[in-house]
Amino acid sequence: MLWRTLQAIFWAVGVLGALTAIYAYAEITRPWLGPVLLILAVVYAVNITVMPTWRYRVHRWEATDNAVYALSGWITREWRIVPISRIQSIDTEIGPLQRRLGLATISVTTASSEGKITIEGVATPVAEEAVDRLREITAATTGDAT
Amino acid sequence: MSTAGETAWQRLDIRVVYQGLARVALSLPAGILGITVGDDPIWPLIAGSVFGVLGALGTLSTWRTTRFRITGQQVEMHTGWLARRHRIVARERIRTVDVSARLLQRVLGLRTVHVGSGEADASFDLNGLASEQAERLRRDLMPGARNEEIEQTGRAGEPQPGPETVIARLRPQWVPLNVIGVWSVFAVLGPVFALHWLLRPFGVDLLDTAHDLIDGPSLVWTIVVAVLIAYPIGIALQAATFVMENWNFTLLRTGDGPDTALVTRRGLLTTRTVQRADGRIRGIAFDEPLLWRWLRLTRTKVLSTGLRALGEASVGDILPRLRLGEARELAARILPDGARPLEAELRRHPRGALVRRIGWAAYGPALLSGVLLLFTLSGALPGRWWLLPLTLLPVTIPLAVVAYRSLGHTTGGDYLMIRTGALNRRTVALQKRAVIGWTIQQSLFQRWGGRMTVGIPTAAGSRHYEAPDMSVDQALAFVAEAAPHLTDVTRPRSAPEERSGPTEG
Repeated sequence: MLWRTLQAIFWAVGVLGALTAIYAYAEITRPWLGPVLLILAVVYAVNITVMPTWRYRVHRWEATDNAVYALSGWITREWRIVPISRIQSIDTEIGPLQRRLGLATISVTTASSEGKITIEGVATPVAEEAVDRLREITAATTGDAT
Repeated sequence: MSTAGETAWQRLDIRVVYQGLARVALSLPAGILGITVGDDPIWPLIAGSVFGVLGALGTLSTWRTTRFRITGQQVEMHTGWLARRHRIVARERIRTVDVSARLLQRVLGLRTVHVGSGEADASFDLNGLASEQAERLRRDLMPGARNEEIEQTGRAGEPQPGPETVIARLRPQWVPLNVIGVWSVFAVLGPVFALHWLLRPFGVDLLDTAHDLIDGPSLVWTIVVAVLIAYPIGIALQAATFVMENWNFTLLRTGDGPDTALVTRRGLLTTRTVQRADGRIRGIAFDEPLLWRWLRLTRTKVLSTGLRALGEASVGDILPRLRLGEARELAARILPDGARPLEAELRRHPRGALVRRIGWAAYGPALLSGVLLLFTLSGALPGRWWLLPLTLLPVTIPLAVVAYRSLGHTTGGDYLMIRTGALNRRTVALQKRAVIGWTIQQSLFQRWGGRMTVGIPTAAGSRHYEAPDMSVDQALAFVAEAAPHLTDVTRPRSAPEERSGPTEG
């Protein structure tokens, strides 16, 4: 959650900062940029205050012997299910910010790029354990050639 | 079975050299003409001649360096002068074989063979084979042709053995069906503009001439007359193109036992052969754009793994535009198991889906005008421009109703069926075994209305199909019915959902 808040703050500072700079220096763009800035400011305010908590409360994931499940999203919720037999690869990714906070992202890929599961912000030891377990299960399950 | 070392490398036909020489001979005078005639050099002519000569040199170097061979398992080619390239494609991966010829090649009896493996990049061209050789290659590479035949090259020229069932042939009635369209006018525009640019250096301004010819009281009148002239010509051109592309169109099923495949052959100048192994077919789909739907026309697509949905031009399209009834008959014969999933009665989606669509139709334009209003208030836009998007409402609301009416889903036999789309209604029948997971989405409004969008990732066709706005019960029933082999998977699936219940409030 902290990670998401930080990320949201970084984005907000980056985008709003750049736009404000343009707003301040180029007078001609003012009538165009004014409303955009106003709306973006509101969006980012919500993003920073509400989104991380909300997401943290919604997000769930689980890996059983048959399938990997993930529930994500905040305004729009999304359940994703991938049967173990359809898994093509499992990746773990740790960004610089995530490393600081001891978090990792697991992605489970299938033959369809739309059917991919990404589980963000899992504690590193938990992620390692889950990936190891998934690797074992996938090795034991024969793929059904899709 | 031949090993890689035994099969001899083949090279392109010697006549490619003549072709190159002929091109040089043709391009040089044009260039000279461009320099000598007139006071100023005529640049298009010179450029054309330079390109011609360079192209010819390119052809010669291709002839020098290209080697290819076909072994029992794979096709190999290496080519290139400065950058050498060696490419191997497994024969069972080959999906399309096109044989084409340009005018000069045709005169010399040469053909270009294009071998495609269904992917956008893993394919190669053999530019310049003798026509008999090309024809033999085409037969060899297609299914049913077994390894032994390749080795006994003498026999491979004969029509391939194995039963062939013809499913469809080109019928004259199909031609008008495929020609009707709003866009025929544009078929004329292209060539006209090309001619215009071609003639410009010679001081002929085609557009001006045309303008003078049909000059009338107003610009509108001129445009109307131009369209009226262009439309029939466009239709004729399209008819001609259609006939040329689909000349001798045959759809047949070849091979015996488990190793069958669908093969389409078509084309007059370019013969195109596409094969789809039955083992890879995962379903079938009908595409019906709005205008065609009124005429009860449809395009038929086969969903198959290992074929790129985009990229290699419309490999998924298996039949030209047809009457719906006829297409249904053929669809039943196209599917290997003879099922008729596309005719099944579809379950309607809940009323809420209609409300949501009308909501979209209303707030889309409203949002747009809201944005414009903000800009107007901040002084960036003058006047009442912000009212403009509201005029879209009479168009978007009927479209929303159309979109709702086309929603539907059901399961039956080995297939699950989904229908969606406003402008382009698409009915998809996908085999249950092709489902490789589920993505279920619920937005805030969908949660309040008790609806879900079910997404089906698959390895075939366009990789992902979506059935928007089912009611929650419908969605759960659909998932359970569609994936009996995943039952144990779908059971605990409802668990996280219930668990998330408390957090919802």
